[in-house]
Amino acid sequence: MTVMEYRNVLAEFQGEEGELIPILQRIQEKFGYITEDAIKNISPFLKISENQIYGVASFYSQFRFTEPGRNSIKVCMGTACHMRGGQILGEAVERELDVKPGQTTKDKRFDFHRVACLGCCALAPVIQVNEDIRSRMNVIKLKEMLDKYE
Amino acid sequence: MSKPSETITINIDNQFLQVGAGKTILQAAEQNHIYIPTLCAYKDLTPFGGCRMCIVEVDGLRGFPTACTTPVVEGMNIRTNTVQLQNIRSEILQLILSEHPCSCLICDEQEECKEFSGTIRKATVTTGCRYCPNDGQCELAEVAKKVGVKEINYPINYRYYRVEREDPFYDRDYNLCILCGRCIRMCQEIRAANALTFKQRGQKTVIGPAYNRTHIEAGCEFCGACVSICPTGALSEKTRKWEGKAEREEITTCALCGVGCQVHLQIKGRDIIGALPADDPLINNGQLCVKGRFCIPELINNHQRLKKPYRAHDGLKIELTFEQAIEEAAKKLAVCPPNEFGMIVSQNITNEDLYIAQKFTRAVMGSNNIDTMARIYYGAGLNNYVGLMKSSATLESLRKAATILCIGLDTRYGGSVVGVELRMANRKGAKIITINSHPHNLSIVAHTWLKPESGEEVGFIQSLARLIGKAKSKRPDAKSETKPHPSDNDIETAARILAESSSVIILIGSDVFKYLNSPKVLEEIGKLARSLQAEIMPLPAQNNFNGALLMGAYPELLPGGFSSARKDKQAQLGEIWGSQIPDWATSWNAEAVMTGKRMKILYLIGEVPLRERPASDFLIFQNLYPPESIYRTDLVLPSAAFTEIDGTFINGEGRLQRVRKAVEPPGFALPDWKILCLIAQKMGKKGFDFDSVDDVHKEISCQVNGFSSLDNIKRETVIMTLEPACLTGKSDFAIDPYQAPDSGKANMEFPYLLHTAISEHTYRGFPLASYVEGLKKLFIEATLEISPEDAKKAGLISGDEVIVTSAKFEKTWPARIMAEQTAGILHVTLPQGEVPGRNPYPVRIRKKNV
Repeated sequence: MTVMEYRNVLAEFQGEEGELIPILQRIQEKFGYITEDAIKNISPFLKISENQIYGVASFYSQFRFTEPGRNSIKVCMGTACHMRGGQILGEAVERELDVKPGQTTKDKRFDFHRVACLGCCALAPVIQVNEDIRSRMNVIKLKEMLDKYE
Repeated sequence: MSKPSETITINIDNQFLQVGAGKTILQAAEQNHIYIPTLCAYKDLTPFGGCRMCIVEVDGLRGFPTACTTPVVEGMNIRTNTVQLQNIRSEILQLILSEHPCSCLICDEQEECKEFSGTIRKATVTTGCRYCPNDGQCELAEVAKKVGVKEINYPINYRYYRVEREDPFYDRDYNLCILCGRCIRMCQEIRAANALTFKQRGQKTVIGPAYNRTHIEAGCEFCGACVSICPTGALSEKTRKWEGKAEREEITTCALCGVGCQVHLQIKGRDIIGALPADDPLINNGQLCVKGRFCIPELINNHQRLKKPYRAHDGLKIELTFEQAIEEAAKKLAVCPPNEFGMIVSQNITNEDLYIAQKFTRAVMGSNNIDTMARIYYGAGLNNYVGLMKSSATLESLRKAATILCIGLDTRYGGSVVGVELRMANRKGAKIITINSHPHNLSIVAHTWLKPESGEEVGFIQSLARLIGKAKSKRPDAKSETKPHPSDNDIETAARILAESSSVIILIGSDVFKYLNSPKVLEEIGKLARSLQAEIMPLPAQNNFNGALLMGAYPELLPGGFSSARKDKQAQLGEIWGSQIPDWATSWNAEAVMTGKRMKILYLIGEVPLRERPASDFLIFQNLYPPESIYRTDLVLPSAAFTEIDGTFINGEGRLQRVRKAVEPPGFALPDWKILCLIAQKMGKKGFDFDSVDDVHKEISCQVNGFSSLDNIKRETVIMTLEPACLTGKSDFAIDPYQAPDSGKANMEFPYLLHTAISEHTYRGFPLASYVEGLKKLFIEATLEISPEDAKKAGLISGDEVIVTSAKFEKTWPARIMAEQTAGILHVTLPQGEVPGRNPYPVRIRKKNV
């Protein structure tokens, strides 16, 4: 991501304070996450300090500050999944991939999130990898499954 | 809707009250001395409604509105203290305290503990726990006491954050933070520095700058405003952490720059433990900069302070009584011929000290050889600078200006109070244009940031002036032209704004003196100001620059700013003083000291012109701290600092300001004027038998307009305009400039041009950073700024040690690669006294250890 690319995004806007959130959304859409450089470039454009921009961006759960991985794992922590061991699956992912919720692995292979409900409680516990729903998971199945993604 | 000027009737706790419409319930209650507990509300900040302590019951309103955010309405019936409210408040406070380590708030042994906490024993006995630096000054503790929280019925949920100690001047222990947001609002609303924000949300919320940056990286100005209003011990000053409460306060004028902020010195026992801003609406308006807020105690209480006079003899230090020291000085001075005597005085000492110093030089020594280091600091630009100083604008006119042009100004650490005013003016609609080749703290509020290439400033300002002229001339219909043309580049936009502005003010920052041709730059700024009919504010770095001019602490000037060559003034002065005034012109000045002209006696009052001993047979050194060990002196006399004396300063605006004695000087130190008077009396001279500094002030008032007596200075109203006739008008005033040579050209042997500037952050000749630990991290001095191209050629990265060689000297500095630096030109800012000679220097460079 070069300065030019940020400038191109900013060129779509007028430079008014109220545009901060739309700009952040557009940046995330385009680059996948909010980089430190993005904030550095937005600051003089909107005349808002980098600190304030970070404050706003970190308030909303929709903005992420880490680069997304090549694959995305979502472990459901909803009521049904919780009862059937969602927590244990989450811990297993943390252990296997050495990653904390919201982070991306060092090799950028996976990013890991905990979500509230994936909407298929009858199949609990559920994990979503990219677009695929993996139902009735356990730790053994999880380990085998992780190896299939590059 | 009722107008704010109307009064309305409300009822608080069964009392009918008349209050102004538009106020909040909290304000109305406070006005009528009704207590409502609050933690997040603070007088100057917008209501936040975060702590929920100020909840009240209001008839007709659902639930429990917060008093700080609810405006009063005619006929409102409010209850502030019902049993239900007290219970809710207690629960809320318990929730706050479940995250806030607070053993002493709810400890069973609280009462007993206080009795024994002062005991000194040899055995290890717990004599009270002190976890919190705000012990005894904690608003949270006060509120807990008033609300009556005795125990916490919630699970403890401490946060276990690391205490942040990496930044200078204050520590941050966010374990104690209650997220009231006062610091954030202070930083955003009042200071407009925007270094702080809430990060994350919910339970994870924490205060700080973006990412995990330090405050230095985040652009914090270290003004300490957040520390002052923190209701807990989360933010605490490093130096006064365990000092406790101040016993008394004294208001005085800060001596660390030309703004002249009013400070409340915090005194405990015989020591100054802190400094807080005073609410002087004319000057600092409740704000300070890092120097005024944090540096004064460290400067004044420094263990290196001189306490006793001493004589140096063959490298030995022989302590003297003051009586002996005065006698020694008098003996030497009595036999010194007038033209063999020289005195350098500081621009940081009071008018009274300066006046006595020049009177001593002229009446006792019969010489005009008195000078300040301004001649070296401003170099060849001194005359131009003084010309601009004469008609300096005031902060008042800065607040009213429509367009503000800042040249070479960075207000992060120097004059940050002016920076606050700038940003406030910007918020009210004033346009700010900055000219600076380097990144600076004002760029974010600047409408246009003009970046001249370094070395090209003169041409840049000239072309700006040309464009302004053009914009003015082709403006038949002002309204049609106000829209910016998309084809404009920055300088054209700036020129149009300046040309069309109703009132322009030009601020000159100290970076101007880093420019290659600063005298010419100042001249061009003067021309620009005349063509725009703009006011100018030069913002001198040294606090009593004006005082030194007006008191006549220059060979060319007499008190009142008259030329020392004027026979009528000589006669007049001779009559008042009852002694002969020297009628011969002198060629000696501070430059002679720098170039090594040998004098019989050199008397340094509050100045350290060179790192090594200046050439003289006998050197008298009168200052706060001893000279460096390599510096041989003959007689050392301890002076009192500005917090230890009465007197006056004249700030950059030309305002006469009172300096008040807050504490006694250490040891036997005396005010500078007193020492000089004692020596003069010892030498049998008349006219030095002043009983008090007020008598000195009264003598000055005979010769200088605007002075009357010390009790008569109304700091709110006295604006002392420097009479043009006093200073330069009628060619009275011509200080011989410290000329730049024309030989400074790069050549085959020395392909680079080195340009040096003198550090502005000094007090009485000593660099502040040498005496205040925290400043070492803020003022990056003695680093060689080099362009990326040159760095590549020499194989350097930032931080590498570089050996810089010229025909005359060889120095080593760490490199700092700056994209803004022009190729072929190197820059270094040095403490006073380390500057090797005259700018610019042809040099060559090489990396060390290669």
